[in-house]
Amino acid sequence: MKKIEAIIQPFKLDEVKDALIGTGVEGITVSEVRGHGRQKGHTEVYRGAEYKVDLLPKVKLEMVVSDGRAAQIVEVLTAAARSGKIGDGKIFVTSVEEAIRIRNGDRGENAL
Amino acid sequence: MKPVRRTIRQRLQLAATMLAIAVSILGVIVTPAAAQEPKPDPAGIATGDRTSAVDGGGNAFVVTEPTDKTSPTYAQGKKDADEFKTQADKEPLAVKLADSVGHIRLATNFAWTLNTGYLVLFMQAGFALLTCGLVRKKNAAHLMMLNFAAYVFAFIAYYAVGYAFQFGAVAVNAAPTNLGGTPTLNHFLLGNGLWGFLGGKGFFMAGPGYDAGSNVLALFEVVFMETAGYIIVGSICERITFWSFILCELFVGAILYPVFGCWVWGGGWLSQLGNTMNMGHGYVDFAGSTVVHAVGGFCAMALSIVLGPRLGKYGSDGKPRAFPAHNIVYVVTGTFILLFGWMGFNPGSTLGATDLRIGVVAINTNLSAISGSATAMLFWYWKFGKPDITMACNGMLAGLVAITAPCAFVGPTSAFIIGILAGLVVCLGVLFNDNVTKIDDPCGAISVHGFCGILGGICLGIFADGTYGAGWNGVGAASYLGKAGQGVTGLLYGDTSQFLVQIMGAAICAVWAFGATFIAFKVVNGVKSMRVSKEVEQEGLDVPEFGLLGYPEDALHATEA
Repeated sequence: MKKIEAIIQPFKLDEVKDALIGTGVEGITVSEVRGHGRQKGHTEVYRGAEYKVDLLPKVKLEMVVSDGRAAQIVEVLTAAARSGKIGDGKIFVTSVEEAIRIRNGDRGENAL
Repeated sequence: MKPVRRTIRQRLQLAATMLAIAVSILGVIVTPAAAQEPKPDPAGIATGDRTSAVDGGGNAFVVTEPTDKTSPTYAQGKKDADEFKTQADKEPLAVKLADSVGHIRLATNFAWTLNTGYLVLFMQAGFALLTCGLVRKKNAAHLMMLNFAAYVFAFIAYYAVGYAFQFGAVAVNAAPTNLGGTPTLNHFLLGNGLWGFLGGKGFFMAGPGYDAGSNVLALFEVVFMETAGYIIVGSICERITFWSFILCELFVGAILYPVFGCWVWGGGWLSQLGNTMNMGHGYVDFAGSTVVHAVGGFCAMALSIVLGPRLGKYGSDGKPRAFPAHNIVYVVTGTFILLFGWMGFNPGSTLGATDLRIGVVAINTNLSAISGSATAMLFWYWKFGKPDITMACNGMLAGLVAITAPCAFVGPTSAFIIGILAGLVVCLGVLFNDNVTKIDDPCGAISVHGFCGILGGICLGIFADGTYGAGWNGVGAASYLGKAGQGVTGLLYGDTSQFLVQIMGAAICAVWAFGATFIAFKVVNGVKSMRVSKEVEQEGLDVPEFGLLGYPEDALHATEA
């Protein structure tokens, strides 16, 4: 099993979610997060004093999928989340040892 | 924690007891024994008769015989009075009707003054939203509580002594004839005649203060005082303890505001400089650019200096850091409520709807508001590349503050220009305080109310066009500058002395408000620090001071920002 974590632009959430559901992803967890990448935000002026907006709002998607489907899902996700501009975000894929469905104790891919 | 709290409570109790004792002693001292005193009219049935009936120009229906027999106009006056008497004897019904007309005139004015007072009261909601929106989220409840408590405690102080100090002698030189003249408020505690320094009737709004006309005046004036009381919140928030804030409000309501208010509106010495020193119409401030706003603004400045800047406002390099507003929606809504309330503040200051200048006053007030806001927006657009929404709001308030003194005496073009000047002053003032004086002013109260208040007082001396205010402060009722009906006149229209007295009065206002506050609270702060601890300031004052957050659902999140 693979865990796919994607940090994307908040305004891309609906598009990405639809694309993922379209490709058959069963479960997604979404959280609102803040962070920065290589740009490290930008500065603004408030009442004449400068301040840094260095932690920008992003949306983080997490899903765990079977090994065979990971590559295709990443491809769909990347296409849907891309605007081509700086700040589009990143995707991380990691291996998952175990998954358990709390309701009935199903394990492994059956629990996904 | 516990022993500290107990001492604070004890001190507050002690302070309150001492205030009550002082006030009762004063009350006894000033209670008049004379038999010839005018009687108060609590029921309002004796207020307003034929003597209150006047025409549009203020000419009385009843013509009385002149008292000064040596006057060159005595013969004519006597003739007019005799003719009136003949006609009145011929038509007694007309005289009876005039009693009704006079009563209705005062009724119209009572309704006007009360309703505009209610509008001013609503400004407090605007101040609460504006200042709360401008600070950090972690202090939202603190800001709302300060705004709320300001109304309560300053009102108590004004009720007990403030009103009497300010208006206790108003009938001597400045009787509000639109409200029936309040004849019972006729005694100076300090000074007398044209040199009055402190009023002395109407303590606790009882006795001579228990009068229908006086109580209308009291309602209208207490909400003005509250405005000064709210202004200071914008400068001292995010770091002041609640107990010391209560002291600040009692001080403003009992002493700071009423004293200067007496000098200008209570018939005190500044207003009479035209009679005593030949300086224009004396110091004139129509609705309170200085009496209300500059007093609040310079009091705020002194308190902000005593408290020091918020933690982290200035970096180790001395540069100011931004603490962005946490809710722009509140800021803009609050500003619009203030604009709406100002439609009571300025036009209401005629104390009567039968003074038809109210139309000019209302439009002038709006014109200055929009030109002030436009100036601030464009200035920021030009200087920083983006118009700052909070400065756009400050610009509107700056225009309103600056037009408050001159609103009745200038024309629309001048009002528009005054707004532009105020917009510039507030922008430069905010940058000046942030970068040069380093006085931390979270909501810009010092620039908006202090600097633009002074500007307003001076602008009256420049732009007043002489079309309104004939006989103001008892000067030039028959003619002024050689013209009958000439009113308050500024530098541009030929009266230099008015310009000079305006500069003088405005300067005295700033010195009084700043000086008295600074001395009083430097002492208080020396006895016990008025500021919350570093830990409390970092956490936000909501929970340590009041036990709940402005936004309780944030409790799980970090308290940062």
